[in-house]
Amino acid sequence: MTQEATIDIARLRRQQPRFSGLESGHRACLGCGEALAARLVTESAGPDVIYANATGCLEVFTTAWPESAWRVGWLHSLFENAAAIASGMEAAMKSQGKPTKVIAMGGDGGTFDIGFQALSGMLERGHNVLYVCFDNEAYMNTGVQRSSSTPHSAATTTSPSGKVSMGKRHLKKDIVTIVAAHHIPYAATASVAYPSDIRKKVRRAMAIDGPTFLHIHSPCPLGWGHEGDISIEVARLAVQTGLFPVIELERGGLAGSMPIRHVRPVTDYLKLQNRFRHLFADNDRAREELEHLQALADHNIEFYGLRGSQPDALDTEGADTVRRGGLRWA
Amino acid sequence: MGVKMTRGAYALPGTSLEYKTGTWRIQRPVHRHAPAPCHHACPAGEDAQQYLALVEDEHYREAWENLVAANPLPAVTGRVCHHPCETACNRGQYDQPIAIHNVERFLGDRALTEGWRYPVNPAPEQAPAVAVVGSGPAGCSAAYHLTRLGYRAHLYEALPMAGGLLQSALPPYRLPRDILNAELERLLATGIEFLPGKRLGRDFSLTELQSDYPAVFLAPGTQRSRQWDSGGATPRDLHVGLDLLKQWVAVGTIHTWSSAAIVGGGNTAIDLARILKHAGVSEVHVVTHHSLPGPGKAPTDVMPAIAREISQALEEGVTIHEHRGVQRLVLRGERVVGLELVHMKGLPDGNSGLRRTTFEGTETLLHVDQVIPAIGQVVDPAGLEMLLDHKPFLTADYNGRVAEHPDLFTGGDTRGDHGTVSEAIGDGRRAAEAIACLLQQLDAPATPSEQPISLSQLNLNYYEHAPRPEAPVLPVSERTGSAEVEGGLERQQVQAEGHRCLSCGNCLSCDNCWTLCPDVAVLKSVAEAADGSHYVFDYGYCKGCGLCARECPSGYIIMQAEQ
Repeated sequence: MTQEATIDIARLRRQQPRFSGLESGHRACLGCGEALAARLVTESAGPDVIYANATGCLEVFTTAWPESAWRVGWLHSLFENAAAIASGMEAAMKSQGKPTKVIAMGGDGGTFDIGFQALSGMLERGHNVLYVCFDNEAYMNTGVQRSSSTPHSAATTTSPSGKVSMGKRHLKKDIVTIVAAHHIPYAATASVAYPSDIRKKVRRAMAIDGPTFLHIHSPCPLGWGHEGDISIEVARLAVQTGLFPVIELERGGLAGSMPIRHVRPVTDYLKLQNRFRHLFADNDRAREELEHLQALADHNIEFYGLRGSQPDALDTEGADTVRRGGLRWA
Repeated sequence: MGVKMTRGAYALPGTSLEYKTGTWRIQRPVHRHAPAPCHHACPAGEDAQQYLALVEDEHYREAWENLVAANPLPAVTGRVCHHPCETACNRGQYDQPIAIHNVERFLGDRALTEGWRYPVNPAPEQAPAVAVVGSGPAGCSAAYHLTRLGYRAHLYEALPMAGGLLQSALPPYRLPRDILNAELERLLATGIEFLPGKRLGRDFSLTELQSDYPAVFLAPGTQRSRQWDSGGATPRDLHVGLDLLKQWVAVGTIHTWSSAAIVGGGNTAIDLARILKHAGVSEVHVVTHHSLPGPGKAPTDVMPAIAREISQALEEGVTIHEHRGVQRLVLRGERVVGLELVHMKGLPDGNSGLRRTTFEGTETLLHVDQVIPAIGQVVDPAGLEMLLDHKPFLTADYNGRVAEHPDLFTGGDTRGDHGTVSEAIGDGRRAAEAIACLLQQLDAPATPSEQPISLSQLNLNYYEHAPRPEAPVLPVSERTGSAEVEGGLERQQVQAEGHRCLSCGNCLSCDNCWTLCPDVAVLKSVAEAADGSHYVFDYGYCKGCGLCARECPSGYIIMQAEQ
């Protein structure tokens, strides 16, 4: 069924019943998890926000000169200083007595590695900034190099799989715990597969006076090696297997988690992605690494108490339940 | 790209909307309505998915109007239909099927208590009149749909009252007569000219009808019982099942033998068995070539009676002998004292059909006072001799057209291959539509070939498990009179069923595509989206990633290759 050619699309776009700080025309790849996550954040944060964006995919694909996809105040300076820029913006707003909130955004490279000290400084100084990390688990913008967020065993161009190596040798850095250890009021993880949960957490963070942190797991079809149409499916399985725990930390202590109703084996998640393809080879090394990843997932489930005791409206099955007419819980 | 450049060649801030990422696309998402399995399976042509959506929003009247666009007798079918919709319901493979028949009955009953009228106007005076013979479910449906389509309907009935077998043979504990009569009265009040006491072959002939009307719908039903004997022997006081049933419905009493065996596995056999049991016959046996219904049984092997009625009959103490045939009557003089039964099964006949085979050495004796055949009925040839040509039924195509007679249509029991109330109602509707095409000199409606959407085409991550409500059932000890055995659901339970519906193949308006598009290429609009969804694709920016199609819960979006 083809839709009517008579619809005034441009007018319809202006009349959408939601605020969207990130518009169409950006150059993200097909099925980009980060583009979706960024739009969901701007949607929940509203128009009275200015953004500081670290170098990375998000910065590159939204601002191909001379155009911008942003409909909000937005500034990019360098890879390492989004938190520092945001700190300055926040101080300026404060001195002018303006209520405008500041959000800093970075990828996992700009957050876990390059911008780590600036982030730590921002948190330590107590700036009223929400820092959002879009985690696609490698340096995707420059061609899929491993970062300290790349999960164990994932193949990247700098942690290839082959005769000697089974992908990344090291573990994924537990950034949210490190951030929470700054004793900030709120730090949380979220996944693009659960948009209502993202909305809830952005609003919660925005309401807090002080530094807050949101870590959003965002699949990268190109870097992870899957088709763009299954980005949500992949993100959902990362949560349902326990490999990406969705949790909330307040002042460093665990304050909430999304229980997993039906725990899936990690292979359900791994087999969808080419970056883990070598783990399915018929040899002992591959089998050991699969067991290792399963053990990491089991550890997360045990450590964060992710196994719910009974069905819950906000567990991995209930949190994305749809209603006729679009009524979501957030 | 429309960006204003200054003389210094730096750009004024532009917007990325200038850059149409839609040019990257090699496939595009499109909305596709696929028939829900319930709709596809409904012999009457109801689209349960549609009215369940209205029920969820508590738009009960709109839901009922949607329902009666296909089936004018929902309070009747909500009670007596074998509901193949529920067997087909995708939710049955997820947890439990939607209680569609209960919802249908609720809407039907609500319409009667609220006095809702059909959204149908009487046909204009000058509109052509069409003859409908027989006022059972097929004839009533045809007359109703002819009226809907703007034609006058003349409904001929041999008996004084409308309703056919619904009136004369359906036990009131399954279908209370106040419900049936209220629905029939409302139906006949649409301007249908009802002509009771007029019997085909006695009061008028088919030739007369053909000369008086441009089209005739023949639904006189099956008024003659099949010949039954056992090795040439018949007992002296032979009563045929349907006749006994009709007598009981008419007078309310039945002869109580001390034990009886009914031969046959259809609804007549089960209804009669239950009536005998209610009336106090201590031993009631049903002998059938078929098997009892159950999971994994081949549909061709299972008894044709409604599964719910069979299980209620068993609860009430009826004994069913499955896979048995009557080999011989045991007679004392001309009186039956027993039956010789034999194991019997339908085996493949090498021609994709079944061949009934008896197994030697499995004979047993069943002592009973009476044997009652309920092995089916055939069309009474009176008035239809030429058309029938010694065959038991009329034959017709999908639209009910009788071959070589462009003005003749048939449906319901008369055509032999359709034996249920809901099939009869569907026959009446299709024939009415085909008659309208004939009178407007258009081609007859095509036989639909679209396949229903399967569970694997839905995204089940977005649904929650929830139990199906159970309707109250009268305890066995109270099932003696004409009190209705099965009760109805409460309003809240019915609304919950609307919510439980997976909306297979139809937009749920859940906002998933709108929420999850990374390229903001799905726009929300109730007014502009004319295709039944709430969304419009902006192909200027859609990159064709397919995420919306993958995450659509109800399978309403498919990806199509770009030309």
